[in-house]
Amino acid sequence: MLTDSALLERIRAGRLVERPDHANERYIEGLKRTLIVSADTELISAPAYLRAAQDAPNVNAYISAMGIIQDELGHAHIAYRLLRDLGVDTDALVYERRPEEFKHPYAFDVPLESWTELVVANAFYDRAGFVLLGDVFRHTSYGPWKRALVKVDREENFHLRHGERWMSILAQDPARRDELQRAVDWMFVLTLEWFGLPDHLKRHTEQISYGLKGKTNDQLRQEWLSTTVPFCEKLGLRVPAHYDSERGEYVIDVPFPAEFDAENKRWLFERGAITWDDVLARWRRRGPANVELVSEIQRGYAQIRPALAA
Amino acid sequence: MATEAEVRSALGEVLDPEYPISILDLGLVRGIEVEGDKVRVKLTFTSLGCPCVELIREDVRSRLRAIEGVHQVEIEEVFEPWDASAISRKGREILRSLGVC
Repeated sequence: MLTDSALLERIRAGRLVERPDHANERYIEGLKRTLIVSADTELISAPAYLRAAQDAPNVNAYISAMGIIQDELGHAHIAYRLLRDLGVDTDALVYERRPEEFKHPYAFDVPLESWTELVVANAFYDRAGFVLLGDVFRHTSYGPWKRALVKVDREENFHLRHGERWMSILAQDPARRDELQRAVDWMFVLTLEWFGLPDHLKRHTEQISYGLKGKTNDQLRQEWLSTTVPFCEKLGLRVPAHYDSERGEYVIDVPFPAEFDAENKRWLFERGAITWDDVLARWRRRGPANVELVSEIQRGYAQIRPALAA
Repeated sequence: MATEAEVRSALGEVLDPEYPISILDLGLVRGIEVEGDKVRVKLTFTSLGCPCVELIREDVRSRLRAIEGVHQVEIEEVFEPWDASAISRKGREILRSLGVC
C-alpha cells in the first residue's frame, strides 16, 4: 500500500495502478464504488432492453436488439470480473442484493415498453454510457479497466448507430413520429439527470485527482448535449435544450431538476424546479420497474439457492 | 464501367459496425461481379444471428453507389460458413490491438 502522496505522485506521473499494492485503501474503495455503478448499469440494461425488444418490428431488428443485450451482459461481466479481482464477492453482489441496493441510474427503473422507447434508449442512454465510459477510458489511472474498455467502447458505437438509425426511420414515418416525440420528451430529461449533481453541489476533487474520472458531471452532461441536441434537431424533434452561443454552452430550457411522474412517464414542469435532494430521494426510492428487472437477473439463482445452501 | 478492382477497393473502406476492420479483411465478401452499371456482391456474415446485417448491407450499398458508373447494387446473402480463418492478417492485427482475438 502506498501513502496518499506517493499514490498521487504516481498518478500525476501518468503511471497506471495495476494492483492494489500500487494504491491505497481510499483509492481501492473509490474504484470499487465506480466499478459497481458501471457493472450494475450494464447488467440492468439487459432485462430493461429485453422487455422492449419483444416489440421489435421484424426479425432483423430483433436480432440487432439481442446483439446489443448480449454486448451489455459482456460489459457487465468485465466490470464484475475486475471487482472480483479486487476481492469482492460478485455472486453476492449480483444475486444477493435487494433490488433497491443496485446502483444503476434511475432511468432504467422506468420501464421501456415499446420498440420506439428501446431505440431512443439506445440513442440517449447508450450515448450517456459512451460519454461516461469514454471519459473513464481516457482518464482512468486503473490499468486493468483502461485495457478492458477498448472493446467496450467499440461495441457501444454499434448500439448508438442502431438507436440513431431507428430514430431516423421512425422520425420519417408520419404514423410513428408522435410516439417518437413522446419518448424523447420523457427520456431526454431523464438522461440529463443521469449525469448527477451539478458541479456547484458536488466536489469531484478526490475522483479526479485519483484518476477515477477526468471530467466533471456538468462537463459530461454538456458533452452528451453537444451530440444529442443537434441530432434531434436534424430529425425535427423538439428537445428542451439549446446552444447558447454567448455562454458557449448548452442551456436547459425547462425547470431542472424537476418532479417526474414515473407511472405516466411525464415531467411536471408546471410545478417548477425541485432540489437535488428531492431527486436523490426519488432515486433512493427507485422506480416502477426496479424489482422486476432485478428479479429477472436473480431468478435462476433464486431457484438453486436451496441446493447451494445444502 | 467500374472495374472489379475498384469495387474491391471500395469494399475495403466499408467497416464492420463494431470494430474498425473492413468487411474485406473480415472475410465477408464472397464474390464480386460487374455488369454494365450493375454491381453484384456476395456477402456472408460471421453468424446467422449477426446483429449488424442491415447496417452492413446499407453501408455496402451506399459506398458502391458512390463509384462513378455504378447505378445498381445487388447484394446476395450467401451465408457461406465463416470462421476466424477467413480474417486477413491485417484484420487479425487490428482485432488483437482491441483485445478481441
